[in-house]
Amino acid sequence: MSIVLDRAAVRVAVDGRTEPKTLLEPVSLGLTERRIGVIGANGSGKSTLLRMLNGLVTPSSGTVAVFGSDTVRDVRAVRRRVGFVFTDPLAQLVMPTGREDVALSLRRSVRNPQERRAQAEAALDRFGLLGLADQSIYELSGGERQLMALAAVLAVKPDILVLDEPSTLLDLRNRELLRRTLAGLDQQIILSTHDLDLAQDLDRVLVVDAGRIVFDGVPAAAVEHYRMLCAADPAAVPRAAGAPDAGDWAAGDSARP
Amino acid sequence: MRGHGLLLANYVPGESPVHRAPLWLKFLLVLACGMASFLVADWAAAAAGLGVLCGVYLFSGAGVRRLVRAVRPVLPVLAVIGLYQWWQLGGPAAARIVLNVLVCVVAASILTATTPVQALLDGVASLARPFRRFGADPERFALTIAIMLRSIPFIAGAYADVRDSARARGLERNPRALVLPVFITTVAFARQTGDALAARGLGEADDPDDRTTGTT
Repeated sequence: MSIVLDRAAVRVAVDGRTEPKTLLEPVSLGLTERRIGVIGANGSGKSTLLRMLNGLVTPSSGTVAVFGSDTVRDVRAVRRRVGFVFTDPLAQLVMPTGREDVALSLRRSVRNPQERRAQAEAALDRFGLLGLADQSIYELSGGERQLMALAAVLAVKPDILVLDEPSTLLDLRNRELLRRTLAGLDQQIILSTHDLDLAQDLDRVLVVDAGRIVFDGVPAAAVEHYRMLCAADPAAVPRAAGAPDAGDWAAGDSARP
Repeated sequence: MRGHGLLLANYVPGESPVHRAPLWLKFLLVLACGMASFLVADWAAAAAGLGVLCGVYLFSGAGVRRLVRAVRPVLPVLAVIGLYQWWQLGGPAAARIVLNVLVCVVAASILTATTPVQALLDGVASLARPFRRFGADPERFALTIAIMLRSIPFIAGAYADVRDSARARGLERNPRALVLPVFITTVAFARQTGDALAARGLGEADDPDDRTTGTT
């Protein structure tokens, strides 16, 4: 099994509180499907769950194992197999240009500069980004930046790709581009998203609420569960003046977020 | 976020002799300019040195605009330093100090504008290799330089954004409204960068205990 979480929980100490704050309640899961989604409200624990899979967050109790490697004890081995894409590509791209950033990813695995350069070019070419390779990352569009971040992560050929809300900052056109790109990848993909259309493309969807996994199943049922959850807690659904209330939203307009 | 092109010019692809010059020679140029700023006592010599370096920069094909962009951010600071030194030491000494600082900035810009960052990192890693016997990791050393190159323009950009936001609220004279947000943005940026590097397995500590448990 590729990823196994065994009663993994995350708690953090907060100033002024005697009890640690729980970000994620103990969770036991096996993640084997090729396309897995995590949906839930902001602050529900989606990112914490995903970050555990790459060792960016270590469980306060329980364990997370990727292909048998523990994310605490064997974090290097885990990170070689699990690539992580952040919501904001500008937080992820640490070099001034895409070419340099992809080459940075390869520094640990490819020592020869010429070979590294060739592999970086091949990784960029795969996503049609070679023409933008030497452009400042600040001059790229949001979609180009997200693809660049994806190329930098995929350059080291991970087995699993974890993406934390990859489409949140993208417009519709770039969202579609990202969706098509992800669909063409061989890697196992685990992503969190607020894009419920994207969630419908997946094999399995987890719904996270207040640090707990409250639903785990096929996309349509998971999205329906999430909608009901939002409808049941009107405070969780920000509403503009004059907008319909949460009860109306539950009536089932599929075009709504 | 603005300021990404400030101070340290980004690499400009090219095939000029300056681009093709060996990295050690460019490193040596920066080092020599830094040393010269302590030794040169004549403002005319400093001006001549600056002229030559500007010529080398333009000869590389990086362009006047990039040169101006690299130098412009330090001009307000140099104006303050120059005025103070003029008052304290007189015109020639003030001119020498200001010109020497500009010589260092232009020399560093020649290095960064004509050398791909990866080549720069390889060079820094090679330079740091002898320190391996003392426990230093050359790759982490190079990574630190890379992060520094990226962070200085980011912080300059953060300051520009915060200043505009303070102006919009009529708080441009309140130092707290300027310093605190830049400080917070910088800390957040450092955390983000740390996460981004860790997620890619770059520069991570060998000992897992070095990482924080339960942070997001």
